[in-house]
Amino acid sequence: MWDLFKSEALRFRAWTAAVAAVHLMGLMFMTRMEDLAQQRDFVHTAFGGLYAGLGLLLALYQMGTHRKASQWLNLLHRPLPRVRIAAALTSAGVLQLVVAVILPLLLVAILQQATTARVVDLRHWMLPLSALLVTSCAYLAGAFCVLRGPRYVIAALPLLWWLPTSNAYGFGMLAVELLALIWFALLLLEAFRPDLSAPPRGAGAIATALPLQMGVYALIMVLFVGMELVWIAQGSHPNNTATPPAGGHTEIEHADPRTRVMAGLEGSHYPDVLRLKERVQNSDPRAMPIPMPLPRLPQRNELSNFRLPEFNDERRHVRWVFSHDDMRLHGFSLADGSGRGTLGIGAANAPFPAIVAPAWTRQGMAGEDLLLTAGDTLYQLVLETLQVIPRLRVEAGEVVVAVSPVGEGIGVMSDRALYFYGGKPLLEGHELLAPRMRVPMPGKMGDLRNLDLIKLDEGYLAAFVYSARSASPVGTVPFQILLRTHADGRIETINRRALRFDYPALFRYRAWWISPALYAVRAAARDLFAPPLPLDVTEPAPIPRSMWWLAAVLSLLSLAGAVWRTAGTSLSPPARLAWLTACGLMGLPALASLWLMVPIAERSARDAIKA
Amino acid sequence: MEGEHVIETRALTRRYGRKLALDHLDLAIPRGRIHAIVGANGAGKSTLFRILLGFLAPTSGESRILGRDSQRLTPGDRGRIGFVNEEHTLPRWMRVSAVTAMQRHQYARWNQQIFDEVVGHYHVLPEQKVSELSRGERAGFNLALALAQSPELLVLDEPTLGLDVVAKRAFLESLLYSNVTDQCAVIYCSHQMEEVERVADNLIILERGQLKNMSAPDEFRARVTHWVADVPFKGPDPRTVPGLLEVQRLDGLHHYLVLDQSADFEAFLRASGAKNVQSMPVTLDRAVNAFLAKNHAAPAAA
Repeated sequence: MWDLFKSEALRFRAWTAAVAAVHLMGLMFMTRMEDLAQQRDFVHTAFGGLYAGLGLLLALYQMGTHRKASQWLNLLHRPLPRVRIAAALTSAGVLQLVVAVILPLLLVAILQQATTARVVDLRHWMLPLSALLVTSCAYLAGAFCVLRGPRYVIAALPLLWWLPTSNAYGFGMLAVELLALIWFALLLLEAFRPDLSAPPRGAGAIATALPLQMGVYALIMVLFVGMELVWIAQGSHPNNTATPPAGGHTEIEHADPRTRVMAGLEGSHYPDVLRLKERVQNSDPRAMPIPMPLPRLPQRNELSNFRLPEFNDERRHVRWVFSHDDMRLHGFSLADGSGRGTLGIGAANAPFPAIVAPAWTRQGMAGEDLLLTAGDTLYQLVLETLQVIPRLRVEAGEVVVAVSPVGEGIGVMSDRALYFYGGKPLLEGHELLAPRMRVPMPGKMGDLRNLDLIKLDEGYLAAFVYSARSASPVGTVPFQILLRTHADGRIETINRRALRFDYPALFRYRAWWISPALYAVRAAARDLFAPPLPLDVTEPAPIPRSMWWLAAVLSLLSLAGAVWRTAGTSLSPPARLAWLTACGLMGLPALASLWLMVPIAERSARDAIKA
Repeated sequence: MEGEHVIETRALTRRYGRKLALDHLDLAIPRGRIHAIVGANGAGKSTLFRILLGFLAPTSGESRILGRDSQRLTPGDRGRIGFVNEEHTLPRWMRVSAVTAMQRHQYARWNQQIFDEVVGHYHVLPEQKVSELSRGERAGFNLALALAQSPELLVLDEPTLGLDVVAKRAFLESLLYSNVTDQCAVIYCSHQMEEVERVADNLIILERGQLKNMSAPDEFRARVTHWVADVPFKGPDPRTVPGLLEVQRLDGLHHYLVLDQSADFEAFLRASGAKNVQSMPVTLDRAVNAFLAKNHAAPAAA
């Protein structure tokens, strides 16, 4: 095995050295221009994609040459177990990737930590490890596809797609990557046999069938995307018509805040509704800045950043970058890159309890002080004294999501409630403020599409639209609700009106009725090793009965197709039963995978002669 | 069966879609000696080897090699079977010494003396890369590696294809002078009849996936006779000529190559109007070629 490993390692040494040199030069150049550790997640994903491409190319070339019939025979026909031959080849391949991809990354990280004041946290040291796992996954995927042939490419795609779409972060993400790597290794070992045309058997068949079914499922979803594009081009897609469907959620979502609030007041039996309408007409409703879709909340030790945890202090010409290791802000000069100390909470410079991000607004703040959010607290960075002081705090366990001026006050949205604070005390004082009013959210955070606020003489008018995911199975039945708060703490519901679904159930539940089981598998895989995301919580609408019937009919059709198909194969009775069960449970994707994986038994030669 | 045959197949069949590559092949090759397998392209030779080495599954039937089901070969079994293919596939980026060291580590019964003897026929230097070897040198190096494994069965699949005359002769001499058949059976697959005639003790002819002959080469050659007859006009209808493999009319004389015909064939020719009849032996090359050409595929209208 060692000899084979050495042989393969030597085979690519020149190319590996060249790629490593070019990679190192590129990283050194980029690190002079930017802090590569502090980049948005899409930048790191792009790097990961590039490295995965390298792994894929290596596998395609390496295994592609070995796969030729004479080469394969020469490789496998030797007194070594096939597993050890596979291990020798793939470990040599991974060694090339370590040298070409990982070593330059580590070297640049070491240089950054040793020679600059930039923040290099534990999570940044995990990035090369993540890159190694991702690159190795792509390498094994490529090797598997080359050996198994085109029809099995579909099995590799969902496992690869899993990596950039997982909700896991930090060590959880590494666990997902490791799990995918193990899965690819199993797929490759199953494929790494003298007879490359033999269909997978036993546990290998199960390990191959599941991602293959997910791959078929994903292809059907892609097909639906294509159909939706045709729908858009045809001109009747609800999101793209000149006039959205009347009474539907799209109409409300696309309206301006005033029209939205006025529409919410229509049909209300609230006694004071006419005065409210007049007030709305004469005021400037403030739309709460809810980026759609709602952003992920920053998590400690996440590998990358959904939002950059940094901001500039223009007055001092200093950039403050948050360190996940000591939970403080680290400053360095924008002029010469030298360190400018750390910033914690208060005079004691205490660590922050959660990841800090600049707040989405600082309008109206005195002295250009900055607002920072971290968990349940909004902090003010007093530039004059360079101190961070807590100013607003929502209830324990909640997370500040958005901050916005409302009239002369301040509205703060957490994941579960809406808070109103006095504007003047916030602007002029430095103490921790108590909220004037807490309004529990009348729906789930993941469903919230719009929130419009109007300051009344006494209290506020808040108009919520819950329809963010109403075009998908996880979204709620769309509705709009208007609440009015009073100075004495009362909260009244002015109106609640149902909005129509703009998309037919067949479209909304397309990801579900194709295969309810695989839909659940996909969701479970996406959330594996991921904490519950408070901003993702929804109240799904009940699945229409027609969709249940449709899913059941498709499952029965798949089962019937499997009965017919397996009759013409040489499957053993337990294997046939397993396939029938899979087709009954997983539906059409399982039937398609049966077609791809299990060949029809060859007729005997004598039958052929007769034919 | 372990003691008797190195290769045994029973009703071995392999189909590629509608095409039959092996058609209920029953084959039993005894231990020892050199067995040549010949057949036209598409006769099923490569398919047979791939099945025997476990690189392809049969559609039906059984195949055993060194007494083991060929679909269940263990690494130990593979160590007892040497294989040399026409491309002499070796890692081109490795040096000769490194390839040799790798094989020496992997094969428990490695025989350095045989390796040195065989590779001595060629001008191969240890520090050379495989990619720097000529095709003939690569073939010789490959044969040396295979023989040094001390296999019980050595499969040579058209090992001299593409070699020049000198390299071909060096290859055959190194094979013959290695005394390899003292310890193992050799399966020699080739289209070169002069090679087969020189090295083979047993001639196996495959045609369209079926076994057509298994005998000593001289025995097969003796089955084919060449008759020259002075027959007036067109001569007898070829469809009525017994055992006919090939007929030609040259300089007014009819030349018949026939299979398994005794002196009665002369009587047949004379009864067909022949005035003078002569018979003569044929070379193995001619006998095999005529045999294989007899059923060669032709357009339906021909």
